[in-house]
Amino acid sequence: MLLAYSFLAPAFIIIGLFGLFPLAFAAYESTLRGLNKIVGSYDGLGNYVKAVDNLIYIVTFWIAVGLIYFAVSTIARAVQEHRQEQTNAMRWALPATLTAAGTALFARFIFVLLPEMLLIPSKLRGQNNTQEAFRSLVVETWWLPKVQVALWIAVVLLAGGVVWGLFVNRTVARDSREPIYFVPFFSAGISLVSAAALIWLTWTEINAAYAGALEEGVGLELWSQIVTISAGFLLLLLAWRLWESAGLRSSNTGMAMRLVGAVALMAGAWVLIAELPRVVSAGDEDWWNGLMATVFYVLGTVPIQLGLALILAALLFQKIRGQTLFRVLYFLPYVAPFVGTAAVFRIIFSNRPTAPLNSLLDLFGAEPLLWLSEPAGIIQMITGGRIDLGPILSGPSLALVAIMIYGIWTYVGFDTVIFLAGLGAIPNELYEVADIDGAGGWAQFRHVTLPLLSPTIYFLSLYAVIGTFKAFNHIFVLRQAAALGTTDTASIVIFQAFKRDTRYGYASALAILLLLIIMVITLVNNRIASRRVFYG
Amino acid sequence: MASGAVGAGAFRARLADPAARRAAINQGVIYVVLIVGAAASILPFLYTVSVSLMNLTEATGGRALPATPQWSNYVEAWQDAQFSLYFMNSVKITLISVGGALVFCALAAYAFAQMEFPGKTFLFTLLLSTLMLPEAITWVPNFITVSWLGRISPVPWLNNWPSLTIPFMASAFGIFLLRQFFQQIPRELWDSAQIDGSGHLRYLVRVVLPLSSAAVMTLVLFGFVGAWNALAWPILVTTTPDWRPISYGLLSFLDEAGALLHLQMAGAIITMLPIVVLYFFTQRHFIEGIATTGLKG
Repeated sequence: MLLAYSFLAPAFIIIGLFGLFPLAFAAYESTLRGLNKIVGSYDGLGNYVKAVDNLIYIVTFWIAVGLIYFAVSTIARAVQEHRQEQTNAMRWALPATLTAAGTALFARFIFVLLPEMLLIPSKLRGQNNTQEAFRSLVVETWWLPKVQVALWIAVVLLAGGVVWGLFVNRTVARDSREPIYFVPFFSAGISLVSAAALIWLTWTEINAAYAGALEEGVGLELWSQIVTISAGFLLLLLAWRLWESAGLRSSNTGMAMRLVGAVALMAGAWVLIAELPRVVSAGDEDWWNGLMATVFYVLGTVPIQLGLALILAALLFQKIRGQTLFRVLYFLPYVAPFVGTAAVFRIIFSNRPTAPLNSLLDLFGAEPLLWLSEPAGIIQMITGGRIDLGPILSGPSLALVAIMIYGIWTYVGFDTVIFLAGLGAIPNELYEVADIDGAGGWAQFRHVTLPLLSPTIYFLSLYAVIGTFKAFNHIFVLRQAAALGTTDTASIVIFQAFKRDTRYGYASALAILLLLIIMVITLVNNRIASRRVFYG
Repeated sequence: MASGAVGAGAFRARLADPAARRAAINQGVIYVVLIVGAAASILPFLYTVSVSLMNLTEATGGRALPATPQWSNYVEAWQDAQFSLYFMNSVKITLISVGGALVFCALAAYAFAQMEFPGKTFLFTLLLSTLMLPEAITWVPNFITVSWLGRISPVPWLNNWPSLTIPFMASAFGIFLLRQFFQQIPRELWDSAQIDGSGHLRYLVRVVLPLSSAAVMTLVLFGFVGAWNALAWPILVTTTPDWRPISYGLLSFLDEAGALLHLQMAGAIITMLPIVVLYFFTQRHFIEGIATTGLKG
């Protein structure tokens, strides 16, 4: 057992330090003012308000509500099983809660330690800045009473919980194959603690915002916005539930009534949520444009990319000579180092009149285009640019479209390879049966291939959507100053806030928002997938 | 390509039969689509090669092919862009990080696959949850952590190899990939190894790793490609060219070379060549590795 932990230790130290700890660190850093590498003072949700304005209060409130809901439902499920199946779930409650409290206190320890540690560079100012002085200050900070107290409370609670849990585990293993209830209670405890922390933070922040507004004598629309937008989300949730329950009805009229009700609720919800744009417009323009560019990018690449890959894979899966050669060639754009391929596309999509695409246009007698340097939206360009359509309707900029084409070019081969693996996993007998039933090529594809391929399609679309939110490298190489930031997706905006503007706290806040978005997408996707995806 | 082996007589006989004719047309359409797709994938590469061999007037003049290939472009790009430095940097970074990743990931994956210990599922879930984190969230904290570690450790971290390699020496992806393969090794082998008096470590090195050479190969290839492609993180932690990897080198060269398209393309080819050559030699490992991990991830 000790050997197993020592095998895990090096990997977990590295992943913990560079993969998990950053999460807490970013959360802490995002509450600091900080500019130009100077450690800033505490700013609460200030950075988030800068990014998305008052929306952040609504978001934190709803996350807290969601966490409480999750905690209550997990506990309720455990209790129900406990009653029905006469299992002894309750003896897990205490050790798990203790461990959860220990974990939360450990997070608190990080929040006690970090401010002291981050102050060290400013303490060194004026003294001679040697490595020894720095090191001794780090050691000194580590041994500060309050840091030590925070650490030991956390460690003692954590160890107590774990040991107790192990003890309970030992007694259980003897009598039956009773399920272990440690994890549900643990996650419920963690959720409750973080919900409480979030609510406390939001509450104090709102109070501070009101105090500030009172001093300056300006009105604050916070509550009205919170109430209307939250009510909108609630209605949306209700509509969704109604929509779901409509599927279970047997009578047609009942189903129709429910569907009508759901649609009406949805319409009402959108009216209330229409307050959102007004809040949003008060946030950071770069960030919203970044999110919008990301959404355009997702909508413009994922369906095309998956469609093309599906066609190629389906054709390639027939008995074809040179299958391996085709596969190798399709995969090449994905494997080749992207800085190299992006350099090529920079020239293909160059704005020089003699660049490849512009000479092609010239062949058809069309005017050369600016491509990667064109900030105007494509719909705006198609309609002649006389009417200003606003940022959403005018579509992605031509520069962004060029980057999308590059994205599709790189990922089609990757998708094709994965589709091919998925096609290979479909048992041949199904096609033979379909043949006997007289199903033609298209019918076979529609009723055998597509349903059995749906897990692959689901995986690839989720992977592509999340990949777009994370996308950085190729966009960073392809972006041109002349495109006026219309090609900057979420990750690029974060990078620029960090590297160019050295706004550490703000960049961290944006990154946390990005993480929230990715988590929501994953959750929604899982929900949809559990119903639509057919795992043969 | 499709009907190359079919003789003219047989071809005419096939045309007479309507069903066979339809099948032949279908085959033809399939090949046309597939070839168009293949052309779209490789045309940009061919164009790169062509431009990299032109002189300046040809490159900016929009020609398709060079009159005489200018092989000296490669020498010029190699020297102008300091590729010898960047190339060596990338090779060193790759070797250190992939070597470390192999050791640490293999150890952890072995523990997850073949050993029993309390908290196994919990730790594994914790590990997998790091896959969801966007890289962007780690930039600020890791930059601060790394600059801190540099001030208390004997070796500086910024502008040096530790910051570029140590964070990549263990990854959830690598551990997951190796675990999938390690799990398939039958337990009986461990029993017999124990009878022979072998410990876990020796069993791992002597039996498990050689049996999973395909997975190890995939991990090495992915590590190689990842290190070669790294861009955001090297930009953050290097301010001097001493340890800058090749992607960053090429990017700064693209900005410096400005209008010298032929040199830019020669630089692009120099950057891409090692990976592309590696890919052509190991394409089965590459593609199968991605297909298996992709589907199960």
